[in-house]
Amino acid sequence: MQRIPVTERSDLARAATEHGLEFLENKGITGWDESAYYQFSSAEIKEDLDGPAEEVEGLCFQVVERAVNDETVLRRLGIPENFWDYVADSWRQGEKNLYGRMDLSYDGKGPAKLLEYNADTPTALYETAVFQWEWLEQATEQGLIPGGCDQFNDLHEAIVETIAHLGIDGLAHFACNQDIEDDRGTLEYLEECAREAGLETSLLTMEDIGIDDQERFTDLDDRVITTLIKLYPWEWIMAEAFGRHVPASGVRFIEPPWKAIVSNKGLLPLLWEMFEGHPNLLPAFFEFDSGAAALAGTYVRKPLWSRQGANIEIIEDGKRLTRNDGPYSEEDYIVQAFHPLPEFGGNYPLVGCWLVASKVAGLCVREDRTLVTGKDARFVPHAMLD
Amino acid sequence: MKRWNAIRGALLMGVSVIALSACEEAKVDALVFESLEQCVADPSMTRAQCETTYKKARSQHAAVAPKYASQADCQADFGAGRCEQAPYRTSSGGSIFMPLMMGYMMGSLIGGRGSMVSQPLYRSARNPKTFRTADNRAVGSTTGRTQVARSATRRPSFKSSTIRRGGFGASGRRFGSAST
Repeated sequence: MQRIPVTERSDLARAATEHGLEFLENKGITGWDESAYYQFSSAEIKEDLDGPAEEVEGLCFQVVERAVNDETVLRRLGIPENFWDYVADSWRQGEKNLYGRMDLSYDGKGPAKLLEYNADTPTALYETAVFQWEWLEQATEQGLIPGGCDQFNDLHEAIVETIAHLGIDGLAHFACNQDIEDDRGTLEYLEECAREAGLETSLLTMEDIGIDDQERFTDLDDRVITTLIKLYPWEWIMAEAFGRHVPASGVRFIEPPWKAIVSNKGLLPLLWEMFEGHPNLLPAFFEFDSGAAALAGTYVRKPLWSRQGANIEIIEDGKRLTRNDGPYSEEDYIVQAFHPLPEFGGNYPLVGCWLVASKVAGLCVREDRTLVTGKDARFVPHAMLD
Repeated sequence: MKRWNAIRGALLMGVSVIALSACEEAKVDALVFESLEQCVADPSMTRAQCETTYKKARSQHAAVAPKYASQADCQADFGAGRCEQAPYRTSSGGSIFMPLMMGYMMGSLIGGRGSMVSQPLYRSARNPKTFRTADNRAVGSTTGRTQVARSATRRPSFKSSTIRRGGFGASGRRFGSAST
């Protein structure tokens, strides 16, 4: 694994426009940095990332299996009681998952360590699947990177292929937050994938969703929603006014309800409790568990549901070393052993492994200038070369 | 991991889909009838086929027809005397209205494994000659054997009467992006 400085493509502003990404004069594309790329060997990807990510997801499924049979686990994860049966049934009935992104701390030497699993509403999908692939093509054409560079990236095909086999009958609705352009961009891309897979689709915002007198959800044309591909996390859905109608609504959700168990940072202490010592896991505990005392010295505090690094703190000898501000401070916290991201000249890359239908389908690297990857992180493309 | 063609396809898709739906959408065979009697009179149909498919369309009608909170709104879209009361009530007990079924169409549904399926058809006040599906897709004015846009043979969605909106979205307004 190397970080290699590289010349940017000659027509970056145009590339940004074509893909609907924000471009600022002197700053380039927001959230994207191609002044360098990460080069991995195929062995690093296959043995250190691909294999372990699939194995760890298998462990996550064992946590789900335990959780759906143990109410104390569901309670610790903060899942509201009126959703316990709903979540458990979705798992027992084998409702299919589409995708997720595992964030790993990896330096090319030791085993990759799972920092968290974004299993419900992962971001950077389009950048990974489409934009970094185009970078590889064009950087190769323009002679910026060595000929023969490949990329670990089957993400687009895997998403289309998986959606085609989800068994969706009739119209598929897609919904996200209103006014959040990034989320909408991701959702529009997913919708495009679904159309390529032959589905009939319709896009709306979560605010637009209506309800009828039989607890069925409706769109703006009063059509009854039967399948909802949402970019809106389960913990929000469960907490909101219409949430209590969800179990009786008959809607098939993607991701399925059981993803509420694995997209929760409470997954991390549960994994450690069940598979302590696994080379890809870090010691982790619910904050007020007796075991948490084992994390003396430096450790990381994370709220159960924070997003994009918000409210994550690094604690050193009882003192807060860093903290990202955010709105999630009222939640329960977990603590995790400190395993710093590797540093490459003041940059800290976080490796994301995309899983589609539980198979690894692509890789992304996001860099920040701090140890906690946050909102200012930049996507840095990667290449695979032996 | 080489996949030049696939990804090019993805990038150009926005353009090609529009072009295709505007002028080249694939047509498929279908049968359109105004009534059960018209179907029975068609020499290519048996009475049993007509009755089965008519019954299927009829049974979907109440679920898939567009719904209105007032007779006047319904008639504005479908014409005077062309609306009826739906067998549903709003939560406050009010009536719900829907257009009359004006015909039915049979054909092979997309993904329907070739079996004969049928769905109800409607006619709008503005364009009373043209049959439309419950999802407002035009299927032309020809009865009997005809060809219709493939998308018109999709299974129609259920229509309901929304009693409330806005019950989702509060967390998004508070926390911002949902992405992780």
